[in-house]
Amino acid sequence: MIDTSLMVSGLVVGVIFGFVLQRGRFCMNSAFRDIILMKEYTLLKAVALAIVVQMIGFHLMATMGYIQLYPKTLYWGAMIVGGFIFGIGMVLAAGCASGTTYRVGEGMMGSFVALLGLMIGGLVTSEGALSELLKLKSSTLVTTDYLGISPGPYVAPKSNKYEPGLTLANVFGLDLNPWIFVAIVSIVIIAVLIWKRGGEETKAEGTWYEKIFKMGWNWWITGIAVGIVGIIAFLALKTYALGISGGWFGFLNALVTGDPDKLNWFTFLVIGVVIGAAIAASIAGEFKLRAPDARRLLQQFIGGLIMGIGAVIGTACNIGHILSGMPQLALSSILGGIFIILGCWVTAYIMFMRG
Amino acid sequence: MSSGVKPTEVLDVRGEVCPYPDVKTQKKVKSMKSGEVLEVLVDYPLSAERIPRSVEKQGHGILKVEKTGTGEWRILIKIK
Repeated sequence: MIDTSLMVSGLVVGVIFGFVLQRGRFCMNSAFRDIILMKEYTLLKAVALAIVVQMIGFHLMATMGYIQLYPKTLYWGAMIVGGFIFGIGMVLAAGCASGTTYRVGEGMMGSFVALLGLMIGGLVTSEGALSELLKLKSSTLVTTDYLGISPGPYVAPKSNKYEPGLTLANVFGLDLNPWIFVAIVSIVIIAVLIWKRGGEETKAEGTWYEKIFKMGWNWWITGIAVGIVGIIAFLALKTYALGISGGWFGFLNALVTGDPDKLNWFTFLVIGVVIGAAIAASIAGEFKLRAPDARRLLQQFIGGLIMGIGAVIGTACNIGHILSGMPQLALSSILGGIFIILGCWVTAYIMFMRG
Repeated sequence: MSSGVKPTEVLDVRGEVCPYPDVKTQKKVKSMKSGEVLEVLVDYPLSAERIPRSVEKQGHGILKVEKTGTGEWRILIKIK
């Protein structure tokens, strides 16, 4: 069983994260899909800003010695295949892992069904009938030892639980100076955000209370808030920042096996997200139990299953890769993230844009 | 009706999930004539914010976005 202090910190960070997700409508499925579907960039801007805030925050904390970075181990084949599968699933499920989780807190039963699919798909792949697919991981593993490079002082050392991941910094021989990449990427993203500013702000007037608790947040507030929650998560857990799918897999695994050791920090985080989103939605007058028709429910369940399978093969969902892994400059997460986006675009094109 | 505008057509997308409220609204807007008014009933918060933004970007008018109940909105669109 995990420490009580970790349970409490997971739950507290989760409640804050859920509140922020619901207020900011933060969903990566919408963020990426809407680029091609509606030429809408609002949520994409929030995602980009959250990545920059965390990238600077993580490297600052690592430089000051509060944490070590844990970029995920690179299994290139698994990241490509798992990411693409996850991307397909999130369009069918009508939400990524985090979007689906926070919408359960809003009372959306379609997302609840998708979540059940996610948990089942994940468990079947990690422990069950589809676990053969995980051979893709071992057959495409690339380590720092294999390339003969040093992971560098910012990355946690090799242990029986962790194989140091490749990052943009250590692959390019800048393991002592990852700040060069942090600075370049941050400046480019912020420059684009400033250049493309305007048009998306919520125009409605209101008091501060109404702006925080009643109206949807502007993208830049959401981006900064998500980034700060990610930094708090890394400080609390020490070995990673935010993640969603792993928490749900642990939850179902613990229920099925009766083994409380299967519960992890992320399990308490995701339960907190549902609670936080429910609180935020209730205050805003947006909590309502609702369901789409039978056909859509089936579609969302299948989407959830596919997301679960993809997340286990690719070792993370959209949050683990794009929100937490990319800011650590992890090659695994950059690759996984790119293929999540490609899977999303191909599926969105087929479902909504043909004809 | 509080706004005094009578909608030509009503599109009820309550219960629908992301992005169907937006996609169905776009389809309906394209099928309507200039000057007509479309009323959209939606209970998905993100779409309640995104539909007015994207419709306005295409040059149509937003006459009203009204919260009609818990988690429910009514959007009045005037076709350009």
